[in-house]
Amino acid sequence: MAMDAMAVIKQTFFQECEEQLAELEMGLLAIENGDHDQEIVNAVFRAVHSIKGGAGAFSLDDLVHFAHIFENTLDLMRSNRLQPTPEVVKTMLRAADVLADLVRAARDDGDFDDARTEALAQELAALGNGGVAVSAAQEKEEEVDLSQFRPRPIAFNFDEEPAAPAEPEKKTFSIRFKPKPDLYAKANEAALLLREIERLGVATITCDTSELPLLSELDPEGAYLAWTVELKTDADEATIREVFEFVEWDCDLEIKGDAASEAEELDVLALIRKVREAVEPEAASVSPEESVPAKAREPEDRGPVKSADILKIDQSKIDQSKADHAASGPQQTTSRVDRDRLDRLSELVGELVINQAMLAPRVTEAGLARGSDVTVGLDELEQLTRGIQDSVMAIRAQPVKSVFQRMPRLVREVAAMTGKSVRLFTEGENTEVDKTVIERLADPLTHMIRNAIDHGLEKPEKRLAAGKPEEGLVRLSAAHRSGRIVIEVADDGAGIDRTRVRASAVNKGLISADAQLSDDEIDNLIFLPGFSTAEKVSDISGRGVGMDVVKRSIQALGGRISITSKPGQGSVFTLSLPLTLAVLDGMVVTVAGQTLVVPLTAIVETLQPKGADVHGFGGGARVIAIRNMFTPLIDVGRELGYRNEAADPLTGVALLVESEGSMRSALLVDAIQGQRQVVIKSLEANYRHVHGIAAATILGDGRVALILDVDAVVANSRADMTAYLEPNLALAG
Amino acid sequence: MTSELDTPHATLELAEVLDLKAAAPLASSLLAHRGRDVALDASRVRRLGGQCLQVLLSAKNTWNADEMSFEFINPSEDFADALLGFGFSLDKLMDQELSR
Amino acid sequence: MSKTVLTVDDSRTMRDMLMLALTEAGYHVVQAEDGVHGLEVLRATEPDVIVTDINMPRMDGYGFIKGVRGDEQHRTIPILVLTTESDAEKKDRARRAGATGWIVKPFDPVKLVDAIRRVAT
Repeated sequence: MAMDAMAVIKQTFFQECEEQLAELEMGLLAIENGDHDQEIVNAVFRAVHSIKGGAGAFSLDDLVHFAHIFENTLDLMRSNRLQPTPEVVKTMLRAADVLADLVRAARDDGDFDDARTEALAQELAALGNGGVAVSAAQEKEEEVDLSQFRPRPIAFNFDEEPAAPAEPEKKTFSIRFKPKPDLYAKANEAALLLREIERLGVATITCDTSELPLLSELDPEGAYLAWTVELKTDADEATIREVFEFVEWDCDLEIKGDAASEAEELDVLALIRKVREAVEPEAASVSPEESVPAKAREPEDRGPVKSADILKIDQSKIDQSKADHAASGPQQTTSRVDRDRLDRLSELVGELVINQAMLAPRVTEAGLARGSDVTVGLDELEQLTRGIQDSVMAIRAQPVKSVFQRMPRLVREVAAMTGKSVRLFTEGENTEVDKTVIERLADPLTHMIRNAIDHGLEKPEKRLAAGKPEEGLVRLSAAHRSGRIVIEVADDGAGIDRTRVRASAVNKGLISADAQLSDDEIDNLIFLPGFSTAEKVSDISGRGVGMDVVKRSIQALGGRISITSKPGQGSVFTLSLPLTLAVLDGMVVTVAGQTLVVPLTAIVETLQPKGADVHGFGGGARVIAIRNMFTPLIDVGRELGYRNEAADPLTGVALLVESEGSMRSALLVDAIQGQRQVVIKSLEANYRHVHGIAAATILGDGRVALILDVDAVVANSRADMTAYLEPNLALAG
Repeated sequence: MTSELDTPHATLELAEVLDLKAAAPLASSLLAHRGRDVALDASRVRRLGGQCLQVLLSAKNTWNADEMSFEFINPSEDFADALLGFGFSLDKLMDQELSR
Repeated sequence: MSKTVLTVDDSRTMRDMLMLALTEAGYHVVQAEDGVHGLEVLRATEPDVIVTDINMPRMDGYGFIKGVRGDEQHRTIPILVLTTESDAEKKDRARRAGATGWIVKPFDPVKLVDAIRRVAT
């Protein structure tokens, strides 16, 4: 029934297209006759935009592609970046004709002139390029760019039941939610959000009224209440976060997964069943909706797979899968995979890795000889597991293009607002990275680009005076470098004004007036919380977001950010990020006989403490002098309760770490084993939250190692030490 | 809202929709009755939002501090449900002091 | 009592699609063609929720949202914005204008109804 209705709407769409085409032509003719009313340009733009929007809903790809290019060119005209010269308008009139042909071809299932369409698309793109003919390389880029604009077909299917998980695993989450006044002002409502959370499972809601003032002091439209929800659910954290999607800026939200209610069992049969479910969903007793779509279940081969019958995988599928990964053109066949299913698969694979690794020592304990059926089967299982893990990571990878292609428009807008002339170059748009990383890149990149134009580039007259071209350049590039993705935002502006940055930092009490800082150290001051060089908060960059927030969000992704700047020549911000959030670069250390992993992004440097540098205080608290700066020395072994007596700092190693708010501390460990990339496995999902521990991982030899939660350890230790040390501590910059 | 002014005991009728824009009028009409025992007739309430909840809870605390009585009468089903959704039971709101 | 949704979009195709998805889900739908029209229909029909496009003639979505939020009688009505391809800039601007939430175009009817449920009583 819904389909009939859609057919009717499609007819409406084609009628509307005719109206829009007429509007488009009339508008272009008026412009040709010298009418430069902005509203006419807007109407012309809207006509094409509207055709594109409807075409997207009906998956009319050819129409969408062409309308998209046309729209981009019109957008330039709309923002006065492209003058409506007679030649330009003539091209646009011809493009309007092609658009009309495409509409009619889509309506009548007919053909259209491919070559003519392509030629005009290129002419339009060339207009956007300042009238310069598009070079072969750029043309190719543009082509790839368009392939990315794949409209999602609308699924008008109201009958589909949500897929029921085959084996719901109930987890308990603790959600703390405190609305800000803005949440209510935008007509979001705490009551509804709480109700949505309740729908996810069994919820116990408690309200924290401790901040509520007496009625005479109460702002009726203020926000004083906070809620804690203990939620027992089979939903995952992402589903819970989705409930708060609209309010994420307008509330404080904390979600903790507490404990899996089912004890983790080490059960070979269950393990094999999980592998089968992940690899061949049809074989397991799951509902069809639960099955993982085709591409997701084709693992890539890794080494010789001598699979036992029960785990058999068709080699042709493996080859096909490799071929799929290799190709990346628009012709590639893709299947859309529901995000939740993909997350579930990743989660299962993570569990599989841990279970598999824990199985190995048990087999040895059981006294089974190497080469026995069981150990051979186990080796095969391990290889298979790794193969699945790699291919799941490959599925989650996406080109950064989806973020990069939002930037040209941003650049145009910011350029217009600041009265600067800017050209954006992008490179390496096809560099792939985990899609979770991509999503969380958009905000920091947006801010960095705004910053580059607003603070980096000079005004046109200043540039001309400095002998530079009037038009400023901003380059955004991405590349893979040693297992990470490196993204650079570079500008050819004035570079960091170090005198001003330094003065500002002194003014704000971030550094002392006589601090000896290198150029590099001065540049990095802009990442300190509370730092902003602009005397008056500018409309563009000053949205309450400073570079410190950018830095925190990059660090939260396990990344690092750095800046290099040359006075008069410009600045380069470099982001280095892991390819996936499931993998972490860690320093493997020994503490009281235990192996721990410390995230490398937190570590500033490592050093061998000398006796004279370590000072003890009451309560076992110690500090270490690093370049005349006293830094708390945290005994990790004691902090985690691995031992009671204090470790000897002289036989250990200190890791200088930077935690939240750029606070520096030294972590005392016994020895460093090395650096390595480890696969993160949430401890909470499998066990329970452990103080000071962020997650677990499996090392190459199959041992489980815990990943240190540096922020938590530092915060806890600081709380203990503050009483003794506060007057003596200088904040290390 | 209706009220009987100048009596030591006031009965106020809560509005049907207690959303964002109802919060300020609610707070001021409650404040106008401070110093008197108050009974809130919640029989018409269909919707209760977070900010009106704040006003009611704060009023409850204020009346408790003043050692005056503050109670809800004839609560509608929607009102009771809304309170439950916010983590309060009507009994708790009627009988106990809120933790402060 | 079924809730009333006001849809504001200059494209008839989009209005029809919203109408289809929303009536199937049991909502009563009223329509407007742009921001100015939207403010008129708003005062005449007192909707429970608003779904609005951004790019429209006469008054765009941002202007419309500000108009609703600045109207004492109607400022508490939840407003969902239709954006293309999860455009972060537009979302951000709409949010600052006072939008309650957003829906990505082309929209999935199930997500549309989910989003409405999340913001409307």
